[in-house]
Amino acid sequence: MKRNLVVIAALLNALSLLASAGTISGKVSGVSGESVVYVEAIAGKTFPAPTEKPVIDQKGLMFQPHLVVVQQGTTVEFLNSDKVAHNVFWISVGGNKKLGHNLGTWPQGEKKSFKFDTPGAVPLLCNVHPEMSAYIVVTPTPYFATTDKSGNYKIENVPDGSYTVTAWHEGAKNQSKPTTVAGEGKADFTLSK
Amino acid sequence: MRSRRPLISLTLLLLTLAVLSSSSYAIPAFSRQYGTSCATCHVDFPKLNDFGKAFKDAGFKFPKDDESFLKVPPVMLGAPAQKDLWPHTIFPGTIPGLPPIGLRFNTFFQVVSKNRNDINAANLANPGTFIPRTDFQPGLFSIFMAGNFGSDIAFWVDEDLSVGGSNADGGLGDGYLKFVNVGRFFKLPTDSLSLRIGQFELDLPFSPARSHNLSGWDIFDEANIGAMSSLVPEQNVNNAFAMSSAAQGIEFSGGHTYRGYHYSLAIVNQNTGGNPSSGDTVQPVVGFFSDSNFKDLYGRFSYRFNLERDPASRNEVQAAGATGPRDHTYLNLGSFYFYGRSVQRFQGANGVLTAREPFYRLGGDFSFNYHAFNLYGMYMYGHDKNLTLFPDAETATGFQSGVPATFSGGFLQADYMLAPWVMGIMRYDVVKSSADRINTFGTELSPLSATRNRFTPGVQFLIHANIKAALEYQIRPQQTVFDSDGNRIAKPFRTNSAVADLEFVY
Repeated sequence: MKRNLVVIAALLNALSLLASAGTISGKVSGVSGESVVYVEAIAGKTFPAPTEKPVIDQKGLMFQPHLVVVQQGTTVEFLNSDKVAHNVFWISVGGNKKLGHNLGTWPQGEKKSFKFDTPGAVPLLCNVHPEMSAYIVVTPTPYFATTDKSGNYKIENVPDGSYTVTAWHEGAKNQSKPTTVAGEGKADFTLSK
Repeated sequence: MRSRRPLISLTLLLLTLAVLSSSSYAIPAFSRQYGTSCATCHVDFPKLNDFGKAFKDAGFKFPKDDESFLKVPPVMLGAPAQKDLWPHTIFPGTIPGLPPIGLRFNTFFQVVSKNRNDINAANLANPGTFIPRTDFQPGLFSIFMAGNFGSDIAFWVDEDLSVGGSNADGGLGDGYLKFVNVGRFFKLPTDSLSLRIGQFELDLPFSPARSHNLSGWDIFDEANIGAMSSLVPEQNVNNAFAMSSAAQGIEFSGGHTYRGYHYSLAIVNQNTGGNPSSGDTVQPVVGFFSDSNFKDLYGRFSYRFNLERDPASRNEVQAAGATGPRDHTYLNLGSFYFYGRSVQRFQGANGVLTAREPFYRLGGDFSFNYHAFNLYGMYMYGHDKNLTLFPDAETATGFQSGVPATFSGGFLQADYMLAPWVMGIMRYDVVKSSADRINTFGTELSPLSATRNRFTPGVQFLIHANIKAALEYQIRPQQTVFDSDGNRIAKPFRTNSAVADLEFVY
């Protein structure tokens, strides 16, 4: 009997969460190309790290894809598909140069992994091909989205509440705005370089 | 018998030009085609890193899987399937999707020490070139094209559109086709035989034409014109050929320059005048001329020991460093030999006499690299057989062997990358010659023998990967010159000079 009550309570809780999950949408303007919009850290809330490991490839002297957004605690795998030697390093995470790291060298077809525990943008570089670059944006919450070609975005499954939402774009200054979600929330950004 | 004063003046002028306009090239055309930085192939352009050496060895292609790196697809001059129809159709090839053109310009500023004109002051009746204390000088404006036509056929053409601001002084540098790995048709090991045809710089241990130094290595520019002092036995040698001279001919080569063995064997036009010759320079008059009827020979063999501990890394194009790929730690040892004939014509008692003086150049070289530090150098010995008129200049009917004209020398240079964009250089050049062209002003001032040496510290900054600022200071220790009575007759022509250079390629 007691076990049944627990199950029912859990189901009700889950249903209530779903019922209160909303969206944050808006538009990022002032820049062209893909931007990232994410919910900043929520006081008192932590989120389990995803088990999925996104892969960033080095192919044809390019990082592919150019932009990857991951939740804090995600492990990213770096693959070298080229028949030339490559390297991956970053000089900072979120501007903090103490978090710079160099993954070294590894042969074609092999991967190296790294777990990103600190939120912020990670500018990836290759020290033998200076033109190569990519970005990992590490977000403190699982609530993030990238913009479409028009700059529109939509973050799904955000619980009702008040948040700080940040927009990031390569080479532009971050912009943060407070947003309240009550089923829906809205935040537009105009970024500048 | 011969007036050497014009030759000496010309030599001084050429030396000044050599100081001010060393040819060097990086290839923006490849940057455009592959969408990659100059730094992919160059340490400090035009000095190649290990990948750049492999790229060049492969015929201006990525050593493996070249097509996947091209950002601008080549234009097909025939479908690949046409290969199966050959010889009933033209073998399909490609041309680069963009005209593979690169341009380069450089400009100089130099400051020369106070004694720069002392040698002229000692001979005001017939002075040589007066040199200003400071001077701004435009250098080269060059166009160069290079790439691959598919089927492992590479090409290179570079042309100086102007030199020193004068449109008239330019000329073809290298222009050749290279058939890479033709040994496959004879079932030889991969890359063991390639063929290069056209006008090219000899496969020297270190390329004067593509050197990152502002001034050329003296030993590569050394001609052999024999002693001019009346105190030594007569030498009629007048061979303006220098190892840096362009050659016209055919070259067989094989191996790699980034690991293991490398060889080349070239058969090139005879060259006495210091310029590559063609048939129409053979003139039946007194003087010295190049004569393409005879072919000079050049051979080189080198072996590079990659010294990485990890065997897998040792055999790769670049070593796997802890913080990324880098040039190998290596020791490269090599040797080279050039054999030719120098053609001179004299007025004999019964007409013009032709002397074909055999000469050779023999040398050895090394290069040691450890991470960002590269120490390298070479030694060369030059020997020209000296044919003097027999029985004497007035009644000459033939030639007899005289005292050979010889010289020797080399250089030792260290490059250190203080940062990926800053290279520090220290270099020592030495040439010991029985007729040092730098210090001689005429037969009356000629030293019996001379050791010409200089220290050249320098620093180079990459402002961008394609823009460079460079500075070098040439320190020439003074050398005493005595007349036939043993008196010191003039301060020698040994000037220190500082040269600054700005150059860009695009």
